[in-house]
Amino acid sequence: MDGIRVGNRVVGTQSPVTIGWENIPKVEGGPVKRFVFTWFQPTMLFALLAFWYYAPNSIATTSVAIGIGIGFRVLLLGLEWVNPRYESWRLTWKELVVDLFYVGFSYTLLRIVDSYIGSDVIIENVQHHFHWDKFAWFTGLPLLVQAFLISFIFDFGQYWMHRGMHNWYPLWLPHSVHHYITQLNINKGAVGNPVELFLIGLGIGGLFDFVPRAFLLAGTFGLTIGTYQHINVRFNSPKWWRFLFNTTEHHSLHHSQDYESTRSNYSGSYIFIDRMFGTCIDGEAELLGMEGGRRMSVREQMTYPFTEGWKTLKERFGRAPVALPAE
Amino acid sequence: MGSASAASTALLYAGADPGSQAQPMRPDKSKWSPDPFKGTSVNLRFIDWIWHVRGSLELAPGQSSQEALERLDPLFHETGTSHERADDTLTFRKKDQPAQDKMSVFDSGVLRIEKRAAGSVLRYHLVSRTLLFCFLLPFAFLAIAQLTIAIGKMENPPAAKAADAAHKAAAKAPVPLNPIDKFLGAPAPEKPKKGEAEKMGKRGKKASPTSAYVFASMFAILYLIGRILEDRLVKRLLRKKLQAP
Repeated sequence: MDGIRVGNRVVGTQSPVTIGWENIPKVEGGPVKRFVFTWFQPTMLFALLAFWYYAPNSIATTSVAIGIGIGFRVLLLGLEWVNPRYESWRLTWKELVVDLFYVGFSYTLLRIVDSYIGSDVIIENVQHHFHWDKFAWFTGLPLLVQAFLISFIFDFGQYWMHRGMHNWYPLWLPHSVHHYITQLNINKGAVGNPVELFLIGLGIGGLFDFVPRAFLLAGTFGLTIGTYQHINVRFNSPKWWRFLFNTTEHHSLHHSQDYESTRSNYSGSYIFIDRMFGTCIDGEAELLGMEGGRRMSVREQMTYPFTEGWKTLKERFGRAPVALPAE
Repeated sequence: MGSASAASTALLYAGADPGSQAQPMRPDKSKWSPDPFKGTSVNLRFIDWIWHVRGSLELAPGQSSQEALERLDPLFHETGTSHERADDTLTFRKKDQPAQDKMSVFDSGVLRIEKRAAGSVLRYHLVSRTLLFCFLLPFAFLAIAQLTIAIGKMENPPAAKAADAAHKAAAKAPVPLNPIDKFLGAPAPEKPKKGEAEKMGKRGKKASPTSAYVFASMFAILYLIGRILEDRLVKRLLRKKLQAP
């Protein structure tokens, strides 16, 4: 394969990719369908922001946010059914079970682990030890600025953690498991080795003080922007949206079977972070995964970083076989 | 994908022997990987329906065994699938099969054409580790719920400490809204109530088993759906292949 030159690099030499928005297919169908799949994303973002901004205190609670989050994901699953980006990414029963297993794992066991060794706990201990107060002046900022700062600080940290995972072998090992998925669906973001799921959840947000409503608004940014990373829906996202936010197109390229393409689009929600650091490529891919599309079993997903790491250690530091003299 | 292990695959099934058509289609348990009771005297017949799917389809009049298996053959030319054909039997095994494989939910199986007086019949016996996994997940999440409760009991702070934390949080004055938010009409934050104060903050949050119970019920429902759905889907797929013009 010849590949396509994008800046200093050549992508698509190992697996087909589509580069440039003008080459990406548009939503097909009648005017209503095209209208819905053009304006769905901005409408949901602004509608939910308005909801959390004006909701009375009795409604602006975490449990309502969890309920809305689940409802929104169910709605997106419906959209995947109605207007899939690729037929080859259609959600199957098996994929749904495995995806939900990881969602459940994150909601339960991982939360317990986080409550002991998560970043918020570490920050709380450090602050207590050094008698630091939180940066309380943030609470005086307008709500939407606070919300944006919460999500931006987290996404900025996630960008560097993710980029580190693609550039440093010990971090790549746990992250590589996530790259063995062969299709994108809304819950695929939860699929990965538990070590990676823990690492990617680390952030420095706990250093700052924000008002509770700002957290709910920040969650809305994550829900109505970040969730589209792993979705099998064809949208005609507006130009400004594709410029600012990460899309399933960007992320499919990141999951491509083409190695050079995977080294792009690292951010979770804000693709302009990638633009700032020169790692953004606008495009998409259908063929995803590693090793030609080998899909790992759940057992291997759990053990791969350790078995592979052990193999590498043995190769590097193990005793070389002693050559016996020929008789 | 190549069929490197095809020869050994054929040996995994008692029914694969062309001369043993009278035998029931049962795998050789000693070599059957998803068998949790390997080497025990448990009769799997009573429980293996959990992850084994069996069924049959009548062939069109005049359709020969060879023709029928020829039509089914392309289903097993997928990445990660090895298969072996011997007379009236086709055995297959899958490893790391991609999601795009139409039979990806199954990991191994035997398909055999049986000749009867009334006409030939395709009988199949398929094994799915995912069905077994999904069946076991509700139990795993119930265990997680129990673990959460146990940790909650162990971690329960002494009453005085909890009251102190609640008092501190309640004493914290509510932050005044930024003038822009006031102008736009956002509701002002309330002073946290005493009871709610201890719920706030990640550390102070009481561990709740509710999400584990929700996931346990979700997987129980998903199992029932999958057991019925995948049975029907594979039957439809095989029928479609057999009847394709």
